Amino acid sequence: MGSSVQLDRRAVLKGLAGVTLSLPLLEAMGKEVAETPPRRFCAMYTANGMSLPKPTNGIDEWSWFPKTDGRGFEFGKSTEPLSPFREKLSFIGGLYHPNGTKADPHLCSDMWLTGAPLHNPKPGTFNSVALDQVVATHTKQYCRQPSLVLSIDAGVGFLSRTGTISYNQEGKPIPAENNPRRVFDRLFRGDRASLATQREQLQRRIKLVDAVLDNAKSLNKQLGQSDREKMDQYMTSLDEIETRLTASEKWIDIPIKTQDYSHLNLDANSEGEPHEYYRNMFDLIALAFDADITRSVAFMLNREDGMGVSDTFPVKLGLNRTHHSLSHAEDKEGQLAFAKYDLFLSEQIAYFLGRLQQFQDINGSVLDNSIVLYGSGASTTHNPTNLPTLIAGGANMGLKHGTHWRKPNTPMSNLYLSILRSMKIEEPSFSDSTGVLNDSVFTQV
Amino acid sequence: MTDKPRSFDQRQILKRTAIGIAFLIGSVVATAEDAPAKPASAISTDAIAFNEQIQPFFQKFCVRCHNPDNMKSGVRVDQLTATPDDRQLFLLQAIQKQVDDGAMPPAEELQFTPEQRQTLNDWILSTITAARVRDTKKNGSVRRLTVSQYRNTLKSLLGLQEDLTESLPPDGISKEGFTNQSHTMILSPLQVESYFNIAEKALDLCIVDENKKPVIQNFRMDLGTAINPEPCPDNLVLGANNFLLNNPDVLVTELTPNKPFAYEPFFMRKEYDFIEGYVGNDTIRAWKKFNSIYHSVFACMRGSPGYPKGQSFQVVPEGLLLRPAIPSPEIFGQSDTYGPMANFKISLRELPEDGNFRITVRAARYDDALLLDDDAPAQTNVDTVSVPVTELTSSPDAKVLIKEAGIYQLDIVSGPEPVKDLFSITLGDRQVAGQLRKLTAYPNRPNDEEKSKEQASAFLLVRLPAGELKISARLGDNSKLRRLVFNRLDNSHELAQRFSVFERRVPSLSVYLGLRRDCGSTLTQVGQPRRVASGELEEYVFEGAINDFPNPDVEKDNVNYLAGIREIGVRSEYTDGREMPRLRIRSVEFEGPFYESWPPETHRNIFNASVTNADPAIEAREILRSFATRAFRRPVTDAELEAIFSVWQKSFVSSGNHRQSIKDALLVILNAPQFLFLIENSQTPEPEDLHPNELASKLSYFLWNTAPDQRLLELASKNELRSSLDSETERLICDPRFEQFIDEFAAQWLSLDKIDIVSVDSKRFPRLTRDTKTQLRQEPVQFLRYLIEKNLPLRNLVQSDFIIANEVVANYYNLGSQTENGFLFVPIKHGQEYLGGVLTNAGILAGLSDGRESNPIKRGAWVARKIIAEPPDDPPPNVPRIKEDDGTQLTFRQKLEQHRNQQGCAKCHGGIDPWGFPFESFDAGGLLKTGANIDPRSTLPDGAEVKDLNGLKTYLANDRIDQVAFSFMKHLASYAIGRSLTYNEFMFLKEQGKNLRSNDYRMHDMIKFVIKSDLFIKK
Repeated sequence: MGSSVQLDRRAVLKGLAGVTLSLPLLEAMGKEVAETPPRRFCAMYTANGMSLPKPTNGIDEWSWFPKTDGRGFEFGKSTEPLSPFREKLSFIGGLYHPNGTKADPHLCSDMWLTGAPLHNPKPGTFNSVALDQVVATHTKQYCRQPSLVLSIDAGVGFLSRTGTISYNQEGKPIPAENNPRRVFDRLFRGDRASLATQREQLQRRIKLVDAVLDNAKSLNKQLGQSDREKMDQYMTSLDEIETRLTASEKWIDIPIKTQDYSHLNLDANSEGEPHEYYRNMFDLIALAFDADITRSVAFMLNREDGMGVSDTFPVKLGLNRTHHSLSHAEDKEGQLAFAKYDLFLSEQIAYFLGRLQQFQDINGSVLDNSIVLYGSGASTTHNPTNLPTLIAGGANMGLKHGTHWRKPNTPMSNLYLSILRSMKIEEPSFSDSTGVLNDSVFTQV
Repeated sequence: MTDKPRSFDQRQILKRTAIGIAFLIGSVVATAEDAPAKPASAISTDAIAFNEQIQPFFQKFCVRCHNPDNMKSGVRVDQLTATPDDRQLFLLQAIQKQVDDGAMPPAEELQFTPEQRQTLNDWILSTITAARVRDTKKNGSVRRLTVSQYRNTLKSLLGLQEDLTESLPPDGISKEGFTNQSHTMILSPLQVESYFNIAEKALDLCIVDENKKPVIQNFRMDLGTAINPEPCPDNLVLGANNFLLNNPDVLVTELTPNKPFAYEPFFMRKEYDFIEGYVGNDTIRAWKKFNSIYHSVFACMRGSPGYPKGQSFQVVPEGLLLRPAIPSPEIFGQSDTYGPMANFKISLRELPEDGNFRITVRAARYDDALLLDDDAPAQTNVDTVSVPVTELTSSPDAKVLIKEAGIYQLDIVSGPEPVKDLFSITLGDRQVAGQLRKLTAYPNRPNDEEKSKEQASAFLLVRLPAGELKISARLGDNSKLRRLVFNRLDNSHELAQRFSVFERRVPSLSVYLGLRRDCGSTLTQVGQPRRVASGELEEYVFEGAINDFPNPDVEKDNVNYLAGIREIGVRSEYTDGREMPRLRIRSVEFEGPFYESWPPETHRNIFNASVTNADPAIEAREILRSFATRAFRRPVTDAELEAIFSVWQKSFVSSGNHRQSIKDALLVILNAPQFLFLIENSQTPEPEDLHPNELASKLSYFLWNTAPDQRLLELASKNELRSSLDSETERLICDPRFEQFIDEFAAQWLSLDKIDIVSVDSKRFPRLTRDTKTQLRQEPVQFLRYLIEKNLPLRNLVQSDFIIANEVVANYYNLGSQTENGFLFVPIKHGQEYLGGVLTNAGILAGLSDGRESNPIKRGAWVARKIIAEPPDDPPPNVPRIKEDDGTQLTFRQKLEQHRNQQGCAKCHGGIDPWGFPFESFDAGGLLKTGANIDPRSTLPDGAEVKDLNGLKTYLANDRIDQVAFSFMKHLASYAIGRSLTYNEFMFLKEQGKNLRSNDYRMHDMIKFVIKSDLFIKK
């Protein structure tokens, strides 16, 4: 990948920031760019923190964070399933949201991807933009759908107990999908009726833009000696909108990559077997990445404060207590059961990383072209410091893995800015970031 | 989007460099009138002189640093010619100043000889003089509306209340702080796309299907002890810190309002199945069915316990009594985000999705008693009426005879046991309760041995009529209470006077809309607080557009009991903690969407009855003509109308839907440059008079920040506007829309956004809370408004014997006792040497700090830029910050002086810091500092010495008033025309503006001066 290509690409990204319609720039920009491998992002959230047992309980080996830092770290018992991916992932310790320590601890999932000051929201706002949506703003030009927002429970939950981790540019929660069949239909089976509506809306808008352009052109002719700079900007904008609308209309007709869907069980649902459900959701994400349908995914695996169906999963798995209740456990038995739920989640994440590893882009695996973030908004329940965080994939974006990196009191937003920079998204900052993570797994920030 | 043409940046830089310097040598420049006009042939002579003498100077002495690649200090001299254009005149003056001062060329470089210096000087003078008599070319202007102008214009054009402009990117801010300057106004595809979306949404809201009946939700909640004969039997729960009123005290009634049109009443859903519910603050999971309106609509108090004095709320038979809702500190964990529990709210599951709403509160000022402090001593008075406890408790309606009407103090007398109970009392129809923490000893101990052990405390003051008074009281289990004693107070008694002030005070009622949330309030105020002065119930109406308030964003089938609950908040508003009668709320009624008529006015504004015609084409043409004329702020031309009409035609041919086709055509109008832009169309390069229609728009967007009204357009069409500029200016200033100018201009000119941004150290400045900051930000705006409204001399801007304050602001200056006007800003004679004028507005001073320490640089730069228009240069890159805490004992001022003495820093700081030092007496909270080590003396850049800020104010108001007036007019003019001033315009204001001094630079004079000058009325 030559540096000149990168520059062109960046210029385009910059020029189109904030575009609300996706369009197939790939062809428009020619072969070189079409052959640039995608850069993707996937965030996965687990609520209530991880098990970090008290030393007096004598089960240190069940601590989620590895006992030692650096490259020589050993996986604990609850993260053992991830060990085959040792060179594809890193543990990150010491992160926190400075605003997290000020807010009601139940809000930690609301701010996990945003870092917003929820204890003192600006009047009229509730949150700020989430990382996955910043990514989407910069990647949606290259794919069919800006982002995919998933959660164990559909919708958004409700204020201060949201069921989604994704927030739009205005800080409003984005409703999540939780049903594999609906996700599948949305991603791969754009249904005829909605496509027709979409086409109709696009055509209507194109007609409007044409009429506005006609009017503006005739006005422009009458402007005599007047300063035309603003008119020029206006006409250019209209032209650009029209080009984009036309392009969006074309997307509708471009066929989706042929893939094997036979392993999917679209009847799996959140009320059934937890692992069956998670694996199907992860399969769908992997397929969506492989077909380049979207490049930004946020998935809330379970919810804070005993909300939603996921609270009962540990019970279904024979761990006797609900997720929220386990997270409050102080006793050895409870903390062990909590760690065993972490183990279950590690198995699911390992399955997902494996799927991403199997799919191939032109320059390596899909995993190497995707940054996967997995973590929680609390280290153990209601403690918003030292957030458990795992970063995987992204080798082709400069991520050097196989370590347990730790630096106390590092703003989470610095990690997020590092992710953006690695994806070549040249944002000056993210939320309350104070910089990037230097000397870490990120080598291209 | 950031790639604006380089020339703009450059011009800005040049100007910044030059403007400040221009004034220091202003007198050197000959005025246009004095300058002899040069014959045309002289130009060629100038050209030769330039090529032979001047250009070589620049080449030899300057170009090495000031070339296109290097541009040191943003300056390049290689483009200078014998006939410099306007922006280069600023540069020439800067060069002259630098060379005169010996600052350039720098000491280590090759130097001019005195003769060379003289030659250059002469050339610059003659060149500027020549340039000033040349006609400046003008080529009209095309500006887009700012976001706020677009918002105001759309609202007035459509009659739509809802604000749809959230999605527009914010306007860029110019160096001078303005958002309406053409060079910072960028138009991007994102912006244009937002215009499309907004227009579509707006028309969807305005235009209805008139044959479809609207659905209207209307209900009322009545409050009062046992008002509900059939209360909900369930124990209701609404999460932590939500205290629900007792079920029998709340009555919810769904209503069908009387409307002059047919509609469908909306009845709220009462049957719900939830799987997630609550027991206390714990979540439980189990499906449960609910069926009662009281699981859909709740009456709730929100906040933490512990009101400083008395109970925060009390339900009485006549309604709900509220004390002022004290705002909380902002940090979670220290206290709940609502403050003590005086926030009443109706929590409910359903409100309309669109449209306007109306909330009607029936409220009164309660005929209240004044609670005294815990340790207030009991009285001994000849008029004593004693009520023994036997009478109080023996019958439900005990009576006591009050012989004489007046103000009474009520004392509570108990036995010797310690008392720590809630005391509640009913006097006539009046109820009061308060926590007794202790009683003190009786002041004059009676001889009686039993009585000598008694304890007594004063509890309250109350005004009682003569005659029999019904009375009942309760203190814990009443076993400790011995008797109550009424003591009439003489009217001259200190406490009686305190009561007379108290009983005249007026609570402020405000209404909020928001969402239930565990942490952080989302309640957003509906309109302004209303003063409730009457003791009788009156209706107070609050209106808004529902979507201007927080929306729940919750899916309809959410299975959590607390999901998506909305709130209608009602409060007695807190100003500064002064004691005042409680607010009595009898009922709260909601109606929405609220329509006066059907189809609504927004619809009839477009489908005007006067254009109704059986032939849809004829009707369409008239609708579009009328709408486009209003939207374009001038008569639509035939060609424009034809183009718009053809959109209707095409749409109508393909769909046959008249209403939809009108919508399509209106969309084109709402996205047309004629609507979105302010166009001053110029036909020649010569300055031309504005077209009367252009003048009408320019005037109204200047003084109203919105489109011209009918009268302005009529005057324009009769070509009478230009001759009535004086009277029209007066009229516009008196109009309520003038507030839209004041809000924008004051905030942008005086950089009031800094108050919003500064993060205050709440430990050092606990009084500077979020709410206080909001009010302090208003102070300079209201002050400027008052100066203009009263047409006062400008000197008040820097020095005045009054401040404009409401109770919150006055209290911040410890002048709270000077006003009883609630949130209304009124003039107050401050009687303080340090107050008056905007320079000592606490909000401004706090904004010009880092929230911890005062900062003479920020304050000095602000004075230089805003008040005297001698802006400093931008700081060079990579200047290290001055550390406040570097281990030395030096004050910030001393460190700054060290910094200034470094080479390279002195030049700029010499023009900044001296203006900032006089502010050193004021802390980062904007109030006078206490303690030693305060040094507000300063030697100003022009050599004048002032001993403190008051000295500076006096100096500005007397010796430098011309400069202050120039600064005001310069900012005003730049805002009025939406661009920076040219050199000629700049000099014109500077020189001709002085003529207004003879009438003390009155505010209207200066506004009219700008409006009637060529810079405004020519294009």
